[in-house]
Amino acid sequence: MTEYLTILTFCLAGTLSGAIISLIPSLHIYNTAGIALILWTHIEGVIPYTAVAPFFLSLVVAYAFLNTIPMTLIGAPDESASVTILPGIKYLTLGRGFEATLAGGIGSLIGILFLSVAMPLIYVAMPFIHKILAPHMHAILMAVIVYMLMSEWPKGEGLGRTTWERFRQAWRNVFAGLVTFGLAGILGLIVTSRTLVSPDAGFQNIMPVFIGLFAIPGAIEKLLSRETIPPQHISSSVELTRGDIGWSTLQGVIAGGMAAYLPAVTAGIGGILAGHAVARRGDRLFIVSGGIAKVLYYVGAFLLLYCVTPLTPMGIGRGGLSIILKPVLQPLPRELPMMIGAILLSGCISFLLLIPSTRLTIRLLSRVHYHVLYWATLPLLVVLVVFITGWAGLALMLIASCIGMIPVFFHSRRSNCMAVLLVPIALNMAGYGDTILRLLGLD
Amino acid sequence: MKGLTHFISAIATASFFPQVVRMSATPGAQIDGAQSSFILALAGLYGIMPDTLDFKFGRFFETAEIDVYPDPRNPDAQAIADTLGSAMDRAIIENREIRIQFHTVQLSADHWRQYQIAFDAERQEVAVVIGPVVTTSQVAFAGTEPDNRVGIYRLKHARLKPGGARSTTVDIMSGPMYGFRPGQDHVLVDFLPWHRTWSHSYVVGAALALPLWPLALWMNWPSAWLYPLIAFLGFSTHVTEDLTGHMGGSLFWPFFRERTRGLCWFHAANPDSNFVTDYIAVTLILFNLDRFVTKLIPLSAPVFFLLFLIGPLLLYFLPRLVSTKPAPKARRQDSVQGVIEAHRRQAAQEELLDESESIVG
Ligand SMILES: [Zn+2]
Repeated sequence: MTEYLTILTFCLAGTLSGAIISLIPSLHIYNTAGIALILWTHIEGVIPYTAVAPFFLSLVVAYAFLNTIPMTLIGAPDESASVTILPGIKYLTLGRGFEATLAGGIGSLIGILFLSVAMPLIYVAMPFIHKILAPHMHAILMAVIVYMLMSEWPKGEGLGRTTWERFRQAWRNVFAGLVTFGLAGILGLIVTSRTLVSPDAGFQNIMPVFIGLFAIPGAIEKLLSRETIPPQHISSSVELTRGDIGWSTLQGVIAGGMAAYLPAVTAGIGGILAGHAVARRGDRLFIVSGGIAKVLYYVGAFLLLYCVTPLTPMGIGRGGLSIILKPVLQPLPRELPMMIGAILLSGCISFLLLIPSTRLTIRLLSRVHYHVLYWATLPLLVVLVVFITGWAGLALMLIASCIGMIPVFFHSRRSNCMAVLLVPIALNMAGYGDTILRLLGLD
Repeated sequence: MKGLTHFISAIATASFFPQVVRMSATPGAQIDGAQSSFILALAGLYGIMPDTLDFKFGRFFETAEIDVYPDPRNPDAQAIADTLGSAMDRAIIENREIRIQFHTVQLSADHWRQYQIAFDAERQEVAVVIGPVVTTSQVAFAGTEPDNRVGIYRLKHARLKPGGARSTTVDIMSGPMYGFRPGQDHVLVDFLPWHRTWSHSYVVGAALALPLWPLALWMNWPSAWLYPLIAFLGFSTHVTEDLTGHMGGSLFWPFFRERTRGLCWFHAANPDSNFVTDYIAVTLILFNLDRFVTKLIPLSAPVFFLLFLIGPLLLYFLPRLVSTKPAPKARRQDSVQGVIEAHRRQAAQEELLDESESIVG
């Protein structure tokens, strides 16, 4: 009985911690894993063993739900920005940020339900899929890289009188994407080779890189934006058809499933691939499926650790959280129902938290300019990096920020920055990492 | 078919070669011929290449004689229809090809003015209908259509063949190009005349794949001959798949330059045919990877495909099999025709009114 109470308590504590972390805008899930690691070094020994997994699971569940708020509400719009504006931001400019946030939350709730219902099937099928794909993982990641690079089309039609003028104008964003990808890939090769730790375990090295690639450019982009947030309407309902929910579930499950299982493939990249596969358009579809994908990516990846079968006696270790907790956890399949219980509980609480938090944020934003929030975020990020990784980490963060700024200025895909993990992992899995480094004169 | 579909199906084609699957595996797991090859990704690269050649390179080298930029503030449907129709007439009078490029009307970062181009062989007319303002996700803002939004041009010299030209909607990203050529007794209409010509040819595929052979030999890759073969098959998968659509391709360019018509089974952007192909390809890849290397699936092939291919696909179509609502796609086409019809009726009434007035007056 006390054991259940302990687990329940730590579930609630995890949910609350995740909620607080999610309020820092522009963080990437890898940064969150980094913060979880710091948390872990401080509370190791404080948490009883049985509550470790439920605590961190609840933390990522709450994070998945509540980071929809900063993503939607503080991602300020800019008329001069790229051709494709994220649907969440579009809703915000129409004064429907509340509805968009809620739609994302409903998506995350669907994600939680999907995981709860499909876990038995995942438990049976995933070990087979894992064993079949594992020898080819480098090729799969290379295929993802090739597709990402090939599928960024020139934007617009390329105005101009001569062929060359039109070509140059239309290719600006494609070329910027290629440069971003190349530079991020080289940075990733250097960072992962210098530390002699496996690429996805080196959180101390990866954290400043991720803050540099994603969080800092994101904050700078918003600080450069001159747009203001219009008054937001607090609607009492969210308009969703059965079709919306069906297609979102399909797209979200494909996106989140790929992100959860394939190393270095994020929910963003998974979303691009799944969007092309399902091939249906719509803003609500995008928002809801994004909510589903996040849950599968953050939470589902960790649950794969519990797929302990004769084929996979150690479980399937995927995602940042697994790597941090693997040394201390001995997952047993019979604990899965409890984990499902934990995510259901935390999911429901997070959804209930989402509604007043969104209201509160909207009220806050009507008083405080969002620039103020970003001015507060930047030093926080710098302090975080210096505190965890020292001055070398800060230098690394600055280099990464320069690369991360390219997509901001050229309106190319930001996910090209993920080359920082995709390239070294694909090459190292195939055993070519060192050769490439030598070719570049970097070893 | 869409890029991802070509990409995955090219990989699926490659996965039917046991040697390819084995060389793709990482050594260490006692797999014969394992060498961490990226050859499966190569198949995907060549599978997506024909469209890349068209959309990233080819189109910039093709210029149209006539460019249509509708006025963002006050789009003139009649003027656009006149430009389009007279271009078709001129192709016949001057007995040469005339190309016309329609441009998109971007109103802001996320807003575009939609317009439709329609060909009517029955009446020998071309029509332009100005549509609503749409977002980049092609969601329309109701009620944003202008008042005077239909323009009709009656062809004077060119004769349209029934089914010889396809109507198009222009809204986001980039607009279409049409090419008009004098045919035997009709005007021949090429949609995107630069698309699926030289790039969608088996001959060009072979020419692009062949250099991989000396490269693979020079790099000392084992089974060097497989690289050009797999690349060629990836490219050919794309060209063949495109035959299911409306446009076909110039299959044996430069020997036969004419673009063949497709089988018209599906529209290239049809979400269902694309998704179903993607799903079949993924199931085949998984099955082949296991069959040639890991040998873990404890099911016979029929049971495997029944469970993991037929079953899920039935589930995919089930909601629509039980629902009776008509597909939304058909309604959009109807609405263009509907708008033109309504415009015609109104014009006829006004004509009648004019006549009656003149009689009375
Ligand atoms: Zn094609």
